[in-house]
Amino acid sequence: MRINKTILTIGLPALLMFALLAFFRQSGNAVESPKAPPAPVTVDSTRCIAQTEYMRANHMKVLHEWRNSSVREGNRVYTSPNGSRFQKSLNTCLGCHSTNRLFCFNCHMYANVRPKCWNCHLSPMETP
Amino acid sequence: MNKERREFIRKTGLGVLAGICASSAFMPAFSLEETVLPAWDEKPVPGKIRWGMLIDTRKCLNECSECVAKCHFVHNVPDFGNRKDEVKWIWKSSYEHVFPTSTQQFRTSDVLQRSFLALCNHCAEAPCTRACPTEATFRRWDGIVSMDYHRCIGCRFCMAACPYGSRSFNWRDPREGIKLASVDYPTREQGVVEKCNFCSDRLVRGLIPACAESCPQKALTFGDLNDPKSDIRVLLESNNTMQRKPELGTKPSVFYII
Repeated sequence: MRINKTILTIGLPALLMFALLAFFRQSGNAVESPKAPPAPVTVDSTRCIAQTEYMRANHMKVLHEWRNSSVREGNRVYTSPNGSRFQKSLNTCLGCHSTNRLFCFNCHMYANVRPKCWNCHLSPMETP
Repeated sequence: MNKERREFIRKTGLGVLAGICASSAFMPAFSLEETVLPAWDEKPVPGKIRWGMLIDTRKCLNECSECVAKCHFVHNVPDFGNRKDEVKWIWKSSYEHVFPTSTQQFRTSDVLQRSFLALCNHCAEAPCTRACPTEATFRRWDGIVSMDYHRCIGCRFCMAACPYGSRSFNWRDPREGIKLASVDYPTREQGVVEKCNFCSDRLVRGLIPACAESCPQKALTFGDLNDPKSDIRVLLESNNTMQRKPELGTKPSVFYII
């Protein structure tokens, strides 16, 4: 009776622990990340990356930052404060904004600001 | 009562320990802490990948220039039809022009008559990146010698530094020289230097370089030189290969099977 009780007090927690660890080990396996490379973020032009007021004042800073971090560091994914992901590309913006052919030119002509973007990139006026 | 309680706690503890021991004995991996890789690597690890190319000149046909046409179309490389304004990313040349410092005499006439592809070598020790005063040209995290055209001031130091003539200067507005424009890639502007970018624009979309894709003979093999199991490393293992001007110590990433 005495020995039975000893075996029970040692054996039961041992078995419980074993079962518990075995269970977590399995669930750990299931969580393990896949080895395949992550799917690239495709160009998503259905939403804007920030508020209109912010972009109106800071689009040049955003584009400058995007260019430097994607070209020089290879960090091509922008995560907005609300958690959505965008590809850092001029095409993310122009995918939707170029529907208005004068989107860039209206303001820039009024403000007499002439950035050199369209010397190389295709402007909304030139895109087919 | 008190004594029995102490006994119970002691034995339960023993049991827990025994359980942990048993589980680590049956599952050896369990004794090590597991590290879960981040599901998304936002920034690539520098130096992990080194892209390279192997050109099998035995397969390359003299009359074919599919790769040159495809590359120059995809990247909007202008053609003005004269040597002075010429801009080229990839081109064909003779043995003595591609390997001018090769000391081997009396090559077979077959080799001397072949045409050899030349492009930017994406050197591990790229002299152009050292010459550039604005860091417009730089070696990327994946071994590609890339250009940031926004920063190029057109000083042409890199052209003087490159021992392979892989860089071209835009003397004229390149848009005048583009007959059929591709909308997937920007053009350059007058006053900047340009060169092959190992199709870094296509690599981010999961495509291999345009030249390697378009070759009808499959003479171009593109791959990661740091991965011993990649196609290019397997071919490098099983063939005698050559680099351009290896004596300069630039460590080119483009290899040739002669």
